[in-house]
Amino acid sequence: MATVIHPEARRRVQRLERIWLDRPGVLGWLTTTDHKKIGILYLFTSLVFFGAGGVEALLVRTQLLTPNGTTLSPGAFSEVMTMHGVTMIFLFVIPISTGAFGNYLVPLMIGARDMAFPRMNAFSFWVFAASGIFMYVGLATGNGPNAGWFDYVPLASRTYNPGSAIDFYALGLIFNAISSTAAAINFIVTIFKMRAPGMALNRMPLFCYAFLAVSFALVFALPALSIDCVFLELDRRLGFSFFEPANGGTVLLWQHLFWIFGHPEVYIIILPAFGIATSIIPTFTRRRMVAFPMVALAEVLVAFIGFGVWAHHMFAVGMSTITTVYFAAASMIVVIPSAIQIFAWLTTLVTGTPIFKTPLLWIIGFIVFFIIGGLSGIMFAAIPFDQQLTDTYFVVAHFHFIIFGAAVFPLLGGLYYWFPKVTGRMYSEPVGQASFWLTFVGSALTFFPMHIVGLLGMPRRVYTYQSGLGWDGYNMAETIGAYILAGGLMLLVANLVVSYFRGPKAPDDPFGGATLEWSIPSPPPHYNFAVIPRVTTPYPMWDEQDRIEDMRKLERGEMVLDGGHETPATSVLDANWDEVIDMPSDSPWPIVTALMMSGVFAMLLTGHLVAMCVFLGLMALAVAAWHGAEPEHEAAT
Amino acid sequence: MSGLNVERKRISMPAGWWGTLLFVATEATLFGTLFATYFYLRFNTPQWPPAGVPEPKVALPLILTGVLVATTIPVFFGARAALAGRARLAWLLFFVALVIQAGYFGVQVHEFLGDLDKFSPHDSAYASIYFTLLGAHHAHVVVGMAIEVWLLAKLLGGLTPYRLVGVRVAALYWYFVNAVAIGVVLTQVYPAL
Repeated sequence: MATVIHPEARRRVQRLERIWLDRPGVLGWLTTTDHKKIGILYLFTSLVFFGAGGVEALLVRTQLLTPNGTTLSPGAFSEVMTMHGVTMIFLFVIPISTGAFGNYLVPLMIGARDMAFPRMNAFSFWVFAASGIFMYVGLATGNGPNAGWFDYVPLASRTYNPGSAIDFYALGLIFNAISSTAAAINFIVTIFKMRAPGMALNRMPLFCYAFLAVSFALVFALPALSIDCVFLELDRRLGFSFFEPANGGTVLLWQHLFWIFGHPEVYIIILPAFGIATSIIPTFTRRRMVAFPMVALAEVLVAFIGFGVWAHHMFAVGMSTITTVYFAAASMIVVIPSAIQIFAWLTTLVTGTPIFKTPLLWIIGFIVFFIIGGLSGIMFAAIPFDQQLTDTYFVVAHFHFIIFGAAVFPLLGGLYYWFPKVTGRMYSEPVGQASFWLTFVGSALTFFPMHIVGLLGMPRRVYTYQSGLGWDGYNMAETIGAYILAGGLMLLVANLVVSYFRGPKAPDDPFGGATLEWSIPSPPPHYNFAVIPRVTTPYPMWDEQDRIEDMRKLERGEMVLDGGHETPATSVLDANWDEVIDMPSDSPWPIVTALMMSGVFAMLLTGHLVAMCVFLGLMALAVAAWHGAEPEHEAAT
Repeated sequence: MSGLNVERKRISMPAGWWGTLLFVATEATLFGTLFATYFYLRFNTPQWPPAGVPEPKVALPLILTGVLVATTIPVFFGARAALAGRARLAWLLFFVALVIQAGYFGVQVHEFLGDLDKFSPHDSAYASIYFTLLGAHHAHVVVGMAIEVWLLAKLLGGLTPYRLVGVRVAALYWYFVNAVAIGVVLTQVYPAL
């Protein structure tokens, strides 16, 4: 739609430009409700945290380069290792996948002009940013969380961990969960209600299925973590007895609740990667995905089964045999939907005509690492094997292949794939391929030897080790690999930064993509779609007639919806036309509410309960002000 | 009554209703986790409640919950009145519900403070989960009442499509609060049954 020639069409587009004009400057970014701007904010914030988590990883690897390393003290090692895990999971992978990719792309793929709740979207972002800063204030003031990312009691109890390190962790995660829950609800309602007319659920891109599954998993998994952290804070601050065996409490309660959240979390991390893979593979193989309904169901099933397997993280804590066996069997079932997807990707690749450009390379790397990490995962479902190797580096190897190799590679591939759409510039293909190979080799070299040192008995989380145990060479290789991996990521960043300023102009659809985001100019206009698109298949960009029809509608002035910030709402299953809704424009209240909430958590941390109540009251006032103004516009039908 | 046109033509529930349903789903999980914790702790303990802690009252909590659950009726008919365009009747019915709920809340806070005098959450896991579960439920009621106060203020200015979505939201939220209240009270009185 870049070639708008018809004068009527041009006039309509200009009118939309005017209606959807955004406030410029810093204030515009602070008050924005545009899903694309919020996506960009999420992207940069989560990349900053990725940098911090990466530096922490390199510190850990530098400390373990040689036996008896002295880079970090034991206490500092615990803090850095804990914050590496917390950062990568809560402040990088989830926000970049749901926050950045989901926010930017889901409305574009379903043909909507914004998310269902644009102001709540802004609120989610500001709460996420504040929660990340909250936890890093802990690290900066020497109170970094230090009991591992899963923070087991009694190590995390007041007795063994006085000071406020764990309070930063528990309150920070509750704070963060508020953001993720709001974002997840927003995604589900957006996907249910805002799809372009005609996009029935069976015509929705697989990318959106993955994000729908992730969002449902977040809605049902996060409360267990939040409640667990509430119990921990009540125990630590007010002397409750949830985890105190002397008074009838039990420390295993923490582990159960943590993993009821923690295992779905693993699939929350990896499902967006599946979604990105199912976007990139059809584009670069020039064919539709094999077994579309099976892949869609598998994505949903993975999220569902993830809720029934949590105790396989606890095989060594002395549960009854029947419990252990149940969870081992349930864990095996996860293989089925995972294998469906792997075979569907591979078959699509084999039966298509693959073009091995940078985005597809990252997806191939992802498939390789997902298979390696998946196979070691199946091994852990065998109870004796798990009991032998639990808490060794074999576990570290397994989950890094999954949550770095499998979950992050498609995110990086996705950065390349959608870079032309977001910036309007092309990246450098040779540098892109070099950055892939460097990262791929670096990752394999970092994480593969961990299997071997794990089998040799090296425990995880140790701050140093003795020489003469046969671990030295492998640890050195891992550290060298980590620096190569960091080099690959730096090359990726350099490629994208230089291309942003110097790259050649990108066309609207440089790769021949299948989904609706490629139908609009690069970068997308504020209103996304000049005409609410017509959708008849899950690959709308490959239906040329529909897109030509959209152009004609723009000339005739049908489905332009230029009476205000308008977008259509449709019915949940069949996406039949329901009503036109008037979307809110920029608002200061989301960021004000998030700031007041930060005040609440800061006062909880420092124990100023009266001040906390003041902030709570201010927050309620901000919410009331937020909901004070109503859409005045009467919906046209 | 332009708001009613949109409402009549609607073929599926509005986005605000879906958002509330999902918020309710995540809260239901939260309460589910509290119930599960209660019974997980209970089956780790030989004596429940432990020695020195009185058994919970039965009659008063059940009666109070009955009163709270009965507010489902004015909320239901209030929502129906609003959707039929009868703003004043809707306002009145929601106001009646709010008064009853506020009364319920007042008595419950009094009971809660009385319990705190008798036994402390520091002493046992039983007391810890007892006070946490009840505290969470009472906070839940406060949120529901806050939504109603906001709705009543809005309804004073008549009905709009936006406010009709608000009516659906408030009603859905209260059906859920009342359902949770039943689960909470049954868990609360369970040791005395």
